[in-house]
Amino acid sequence: MSRLLFIVFLPALTLAGATFENDVQPILRAKCAGCHDGATRTSGFSIASQDAVLAGGARHGAAVIAGKPAESVLIRILRGEIKPQMPLGKALSAADIATISSWILELKPELTTSKNRPYWAFVKPVKLPVPTVTGATRNEIDSFVLKKLAEKGLSMAPEADRLTLVRRVYFDLIGLPPTPREAKAFVDDPSPAAYEDLVDRLLKDSRYGERWGRHWLDLARYADTNGYEGDPEWPHAWRYRNYVIDAFNNDKPYDQFIKEQIAGDEFFQIVSAVPAPPPEPEQAVALSFLRLAPFNRTPVSEENRDSWLSEMTSTVGSVFLGMTIGCAKCHDHKYDSVPQRDFYRMKAFFSTVTVPSTGRAGGAEPAEFYRPGEKEWADKQREKEKQELTSTQADFDKFLEPLIAKLTEAKKREDAKFEGKLAAKDVEKEVNADNNNAAGFDKKPEILTTADRAEWRTYNEKITRLKKAIERLEPMCMGLRNSDGPPFAPSPPATHILIRGDYDHPGEVVEPGFLSAIEGNSNPAVLKLDRYKMFPTRGRRMTLAEWIANPDNPLTARVMVNRIWQFHFGRGIVETSSDFGRNGSPPTNLELLDWLAVKFTEEKWSVKKMHRLILTSATYRQASLYDDSKGLQVDPENKLLWRFPRQRLSGEAIRDAVLAVSGRLNLESGRLPVYPPLPEGLDEGQKVQGVNTWETSDGPDGRRRSIYVFQRRALQLPFLETFDAPVLNTSCDRRRQSITALQALTMYDNDFVNGEVGYMAERIRKEIGPDVREQARYAFELAFNRTPKPKELEGALKLVAETRPAASGLIALCRTLLNASEFIYID
Amino acid sequence: MSASRRDFLWRSWNGIGGLALSQLLKEDLSAATLIDPMAVKPQHLPRKAKRCIFLFMAGGASQMDTFDYKPKLKEFAGKRLPKLPGLSGEIEGFLNAPHRVIPSPFEFKQYGQSGKYISTLFPEIGQMADQLAFVHGIKVDNNNHGPATMHVNTGSQLQGGASVGSWISYGLGSENRNLPGYVVIQDPRGSPVNGSAVWSNGYLPASYQGTLFRSTGSPILDLALPKDVTRDQQRREFDYLAQLNHQHSAERGGSAELDARINAYELAFRMQMEAPKLVDLGSEPETVRKLYGLDNPVTEGFGRQCLLARRLVEGGVRHVLLIHGVEIGKFSWDDHGNVKERVPQHAAEVDRPVAALLKDLKGRGLLEETLVVWTSEMGRTPFINDLTGEKPGRDHNQYGLTVWMAGGDVKAGTTAGATDEFGLRALEQPIPMRDVHATVLNLMGLQDDRLTYLHAGRYRRLTDIGGQVVKTIVS
Repeated sequence: MSRLLFIVFLPALTLAGATFENDVQPILRAKCAGCHDGATRTSGFSIASQDAVLAGGARHGAAVIAGKPAESVLIRILRGEIKPQMPLGKALSAADIATISSWILELKPELTTSKNRPYWAFVKPVKLPVPTVTGATRNEIDSFVLKKLAEKGLSMAPEADRLTLVRRVYFDLIGLPPTPREAKAFVDDPSPAAYEDLVDRLLKDSRYGERWGRHWLDLARYADTNGYEGDPEWPHAWRYRNYVIDAFNNDKPYDQFIKEQIAGDEFFQIVSAVPAPPPEPEQAVALSFLRLAPFNRTPVSEENRDSWLSEMTSTVGSVFLGMTIGCAKCHDHKYDSVPQRDFYRMKAFFSTVTVPSTGRAGGAEPAEFYRPGEKEWADKQREKEKQELTSTQADFDKFLEPLIAKLTEAKKREDAKFEGKLAAKDVEKEVNADNNNAAGFDKKPEILTTADRAEWRTYNEKITRLKKAIERLEPMCMGLRNSDGPPFAPSPPATHILIRGDYDHPGEVVEPGFLSAIEGNSNPAVLKLDRYKMFPTRGRRMTLAEWIANPDNPLTARVMVNRIWQFHFGRGIVETSSDFGRNGSPPTNLELLDWLAVKFTEEKWSVKKMHRLILTSATYRQASLYDDSKGLQVDPENKLLWRFPRQRLSGEAIRDAVLAVSGRLNLESGRLPVYPPLPEGLDEGQKVQGVNTWETSDGPDGRRRSIYVFQRRALQLPFLETFDAPVLNTSCDRRRQSITALQALTMYDNDFVNGEVGYMAERIRKEIGPDVREQARYAFELAFNRTPKPKELEGALKLVAETRPAASGLIALCRTLLNASEFIYID
Repeated sequence: MSASRRDFLWRSWNGIGGLALSQLLKEDLSAATLIDPMAVKPQHLPRKAKRCIFLFMAGGASQMDTFDYKPKLKEFAGKRLPKLPGLSGEIEGFLNAPHRVIPSPFEFKQYGQSGKYISTLFPEIGQMADQLAFVHGIKVDNNNHGPATMHVNTGSQLQGGASVGSWISYGLGSENRNLPGYVVIQDPRGSPVNGSAVWSNGYLPASYQGTLFRSTGSPILDLALPKDVTRDQQRREFDYLAQLNHQHSAERGGSAELDARINAYELAFRMQMEAPKLVDLGSEPETVRKLYGLDNPVTEGFGRQCLLARRLVEGGVRHVLLIHGVEIGKFSWDDHGNVKERVPQHAAEVDRPVAALLKDLKGRGLLEETLVVWTSEMGRTPFINDLTGEKPGRDHNQYGLTVWMAGGDVKAGTTAGATDEFGLRALEQPIPMRDVHATVLNLMGLQDDRLTYLHAGRYRRLTDIGGQVVKTIVS
């Protein structure tokens, strides 16, 4: 009926055979291209092709329903039935709308039904033939990039010079600047393969894992504390940090990396009635991934457990699959084909997870996970701490004796009938008493002196600290396990859909299952239980992990190669790297993304091979200093990579670089978290009744790489925070690169920076001698990996000469260089 | 950064003299932020309040010892609570303890025209009773400090959400570009539970994060020059730095980002001179210092916080969060023991300063434009909870929170919601915290369902699934 009515209003002229190319696209080009051409794609909507128009934008989804113009979003927006009316501030003529309507009327339904047009990210990627392009290429990446550039009439920038390249690759792969000597060696290397050799060498450097592990820790929302009340420490979380660093250094295949983090305890096959042996220590540690969210311990309730499992589910979805499935907790996903039941089907894979219930933040699992040489160190260190604890305890007891006597005496004076002796705990009460009301002495003059109390507190703090230190060294990890299952424990509990996500409104029961939007997954998953199905609580997570870590999964490889790409170029091919859904950004180069994804699985998920491929491309080796006016005009954000994107260093890299140029960076790897000195005034507020003190590492430990800094949820190291290092309460896929006045204050006034510039000056004097001009030159090489230009040198010498006191001249120069943009922006 | 935006920033910098501590401290000047994040945005609804002061009493303030009068408790002193209608099973407390009633040890008195019963521990606030509107029987989602503090401050008990001040700054922007949009001053004795997560911007852009001020000394870190560096020396270094940076930028085609960084250094230079003046309360007349209780060690701490808050809102800061109390211990309102001695202590610390703030704002005609909110993360139980048994205290109670508001379009002298005659929980429908959040937003001219932010695939809002404005207290 509506169709009939509609036709009546159409001018007869446009009725027959309107096609997209001939009739519709010209209208859209004329009126909509300003915001919706293939490059701008405002709201994700593009008029570049019929497919793009059919697919619609991020806001409203499919724009066209074949045969039903009046119901199609496109027409409704053009008519103003959906606000804002398009084009903004204008309207198409009735005739134009009628033309578009008649095209929709005659469209074949199969073009727009979702069954035949699945969303790109849900379809397994294929390697398209590498395009033939004009322009110099070094590998396949360049062909794909050049093809996109050519479509816009753009080309690539020339190759960057060697000094730029060496600085870029060092920071990118190991997060540190090359020393002047290393830079020179590369510049002078006559080998035609000098660059490739450099890349290979750095990929083998153990500092690589410390740089790239940091990226992963952001995704894994890693911290050393639990958050919430008291922000209690997780004394064993640091083992996961080391696990991640090692995984990158050893180029652990990414599929294995996934399986270990989701199901590290389910590798052993059970072939008899005997329960599985405990997991390999390394795989037990990997499981920390699931536990790293802030843990809300209260109320002690099933609901609380439910939100814990939900967090695991959401994070696995966004980190490994790039899908914001957490949105489906309360309702069907508004933008992606994730029905609410899918969230709960995914959550059902985690229903048997348990953690030892000891401790405020949950207990630890055993894991004798040591890196080479680490066991000896840990044993020795623990022994040392234990001895110190014993002797401190003995001293403390001696100290307590007279205090106990004093208290007992006072008690007897107070209460003639009292017999016997008070104990150490009475001293504690007395020390902590608000107003002398402990131990039965109400409102009496103080028995203990202020000095007694202070000394008691010092002892107490020391003992607390030693106990914590010993605990950290225990061979344990933040892992988890499955509940035991029958006959001693229940079978896996049923997972209910929660109506509107409300725990008090359980709905239908669901079985574990994968994302149904990906073809073939509408039924429950076939769980990989043991052969005799004797251990039904075991195998769920491995079932999920194997589905994710699979070349057939359309998302996994794409999501990871995109992350790698993002950390090299500052922006992913899909900019929203944890959201590959319709509400995320569309890929700027889908053919390239898919080619890389397939290549990644073909190369057995080797992350290092992917680095090498990307780093040796001409695309990566482009100069960033390239003023292509056309590029600036057509692609001002450089999404298509017509030059290398200049990037600001992360907070961690800036701190590490300051220490590297001062010559004081402690490159010791692994081991326990470190506590660099906090700015004055900050540490005091962090002391809560003698626990959770920031155990400032004054010596070389305080100068280790930033990845080793204790990650406290209630307190981020201010220096790092100022440069956009987030407190990781949720997974972070990309750091901001802000520019603030606070950063200027931090780089100029901060005690840490000012301490290090002193050492930098000292180092220069020692290595170069007294010649001021040579000193200045070397300062430039340290800070920027280049020599100063004549005017720069002149200015430097003037600054040094005018500084009072004169002895501070070189320090002033060093401080100024570290504040320069060139120190933290990498070309 | 676009030329016009840069012009704007500099204009506002130069145009307003005096205080020069800028939002630019935190503000992202990078090219990514082409739209000025702190530009003043129109209210959704016409409301008088332009600024908000949020007073957070950390630890769970006892409602029946402060503003929720429960004379009936006297009859049950030392006894168990009777079986209450609508309650199944045992009443939950956070800790196990004999559930014996303790009446409030403090006298209550009717204050003002409204005749509101208020504990005599708050004689000064009592004088301002006719300026206040109360909400009793508020339900918080969790019964312990960490999550409850998150819930009251960010609308979600999970860490990672955006705080009330972040939402308000996001919704309204900042009136004065030379002051931060959102300032936090915590108790000089330490941090609240969850630390900085309490004033986090969460998923909102970093510009909306609370800027932590210290109430004494230098208000922010790294403001003082390095040792041995004079102002002249710094100027010399900054001049050379500008030479390096300008050249660096010019060689790169005048990148907006690099230019923004050059500006950041100039801003920092001026800020170092101007910022300390902001926290210099010495310029306030003696009468004002006395009004806030700066002459008394008991009230000095929160008095400084309140006086600073007034100076900040006067200067156009959009939202000020003042925290009284620290995480654990005797400076927290978490009075599991010794209600009799500890509640008076907390009350004495805040009564005069808070009343002074209200009076001072009113005297300056600022109360009309300033919404003041007093809250804690939960209420407490009417029954005993003291581990030693000698000095009775009260347990956590997520159903009994009391909030009061003043200023703006608050209908002063009204009370909404009620707990039962024991102060345990709401008789009829409890008022969920999201309704209080919706009310705060409404009084700031913002509608909770319009103030949204797309994050991780979902439009987030302070009230999550949406709140109802508590109409009784809104004129």
